[in-house]
Amino acid sequence: METDLSGLHPPDQPVIETRGITKSFGHVEALRGASLRAYPGEVLALIGDNGAGKTTLANIIAGVHASDEGELLLRGISVDVASVRQARELGIEIVYQDLAQAPDLTVSQNFFFGRELLVKGIGRFLGKVDERAMRERTKEAMTLLGAQVPSLTVPVSALSGGQRQAIAVARAVMWAKAAIIMDEPTAALGAKQTAMVYDAVRAAADRGLAVILVSHDIPKMIEFADQMAIMRHGSVVAQMPTAGLELVDVLTTMLTAQKDAA
Amino acid sequence: MTATKPSPQASATTFSSSEPALVKRIITSTAFMIAVVVLVLILLFGALSPNAVFLGPANFRNLALDSAQLILLAVGMTFLVGAGELDLSIGANVILSSVVAAKVITLLGGTPEEVLAGNYSNVGVAIFFGLLAAVATGTVFGIVNATLVNLLRVNSFIVTLAMMSVGSGIAYIVTGGVNVSALPRDLQKNFGSADFFGIIPVPAVIAVLLGIVAWFAMTKLRFGTHTLGMGSSIRAAQRAGIKVKTQRVKLFGIMGLIAGLVGFIDISRFLTTNIQGHQGDALAAIAAVVIGGTSLFGGRASVLGSIIAAIIPAILINGLVIMRVGSFYQLVVTGLILLVAVGIDQRRRTQPS
Repeated sequence: METDLSGLHPPDQPVIETRGITKSFGHVEALRGASLRAYPGEVLALIGDNGAGKTTLANIIAGVHASDEGELLLRGISVDVASVRQARELGIEIVYQDLAQAPDLTVSQNFFFGRELLVKGIGRFLGKVDERAMRERTKEAMTLLGAQVPSLTVPVSALSGGQRQAIAVARAVMWAKAAIIMDEPTAALGAKQTAMVYDAVRAAADRGLAVILVSHDIPKMIEFADQMAIMRHGSVVAQMPTAGLELVDVLTTMLTAQKDAA
Repeated sequence: MTATKPSPQASATTFSSSEPALVKRIITSTAFMIAVVVLVLILLFGALSPNAVFLGPANFRNLALDSAQLILLAVGMTFLVGAGELDLSIGANVILSSVVAAKVITLLGGTPEEVLAGNYSNVGVAIFFGLLAAVATGTVFGIVNATLVNLLRVNSFIVTLAMMSVGSGIAYIVTGGVNVSALPRDLQKNFGSADFFGIIPVPAVIAVLLGIVAWFAMTKLRFGTHTLGMGSSIRAAQRAGIKVKTQRVKLFGIMGLIAGLVGFIDISRFLTTNIQGHQGDALAAIAAVVIGGTSLFGGRASVLGSIIAAIIPAILINGLVIMRVGSFYQLVVTGLILLVAVGIDQRRRTQPS
């Protein structure tokens, strides 16, 4: 879990690629053929106006929703993710906008929620959890990202928003083997906490993961992300490196581009 | 936010230094405070009762026997409340299970004439299948509750409120409104009122053993974490890939199994069903669970607290009777304790830790 993943695949091959993903909720067409590529060690910012389909696309990659049409490729191989569980088994983790934490469980219990480490021996058969091992691993993962909490045995409800966010990011980094998807990870945070989360995101990318970051903060994304995918009306109208990108160009694309420009 | 500097050394010390000490955690736990309340009540009644009969071994035996059924129900309810669910139908479940068990025992026990005379020719087999029938009925009842919650997507409060009516209705239909009595005396002699070492009631031993298993499951097993996680945030549990519906079936199934067992203990003690009784069982169990420190909104639970709190009604009834005060005051006092417990819990919740 703590191994360096950067050597596993050539940097020019995308870890995650979507091709022509469509998704409708009843009569609402949320996605009309969305295609993007996320590369190892890079942060891909997924931006667009409200209702452009950012969260839907992120959720489809993470297995929260199933797509209607289109293809999801993991390291060039077409994969089928019908559930969050399947996406996780493929090494894709998501940090939800609302974090999806159980506030009464402790930090380490949340880290391993649904994937508890069990003791060895007879206790394993009963489903006895290995609290000590879980705490150790949580501590390692938190330290790796430079994230801090006062204690691993307090319920997460006792922590600040930034700490909870950092826990969610560290948790995703610990489990991810291919990619992390983050939906507005700094939306509810102050400046100091936001900086802490961005540090954690960069640290995750530096470990060779592909990071897809759904965000509204375009200036920050131009500065922080490596690539930018711009969505409009359910499709990705442009994807390009952020180097040399101007805010006005991004905004123009975001608000006026036609689908066939993709 | 107290610390944000990304220094590994700093974080290592932060982690190790501020874990709360064990002694402090025990003393501030609700279970401990309730234990103190129980102890005070026992000492109070001991001092007030003539010749301190309240503190005699015979009275402790009575207390243990009288609280066994509520302890069992409260233990099962702890898991449900911890998971953010409620079961109001356990009283009806106890009645229905006991009725089915009693019917099975009288059917298998011998010819109708023999049974009527209380002279069972086939008593061993009858009791064995009676126990099986009680536990099976209770479990199925619980699983039906969970299945309805899962299918209707209605909260368990409403579903079990309806099932309370359905369950006691079926019990009345099966019996025609007449209690099944004249059950074999062996049931009482060897189980319901039997003692280990002449002083420890068998039902109380069962309650304590089940309590220990439940405590272990809640605090040490993945089952307990998933239960509390589900109660803390059902969305988080779903997102974590936990099969919430299956967990719900398990939880209600266990509650039902316990209710079935309590139904069997009930007929073993009194040798008759009690279809008019058990009206207050569900609320008494929920009260004990909440007094014992389990959050009524789920997420936090204390099996030990529930067990200790479940003794309070028996102590009050017993003590008030010994002091020749009407036992009805028990209900008032239990209600007041519940209010105080909820008040304390609410205060704790709103205070930053």
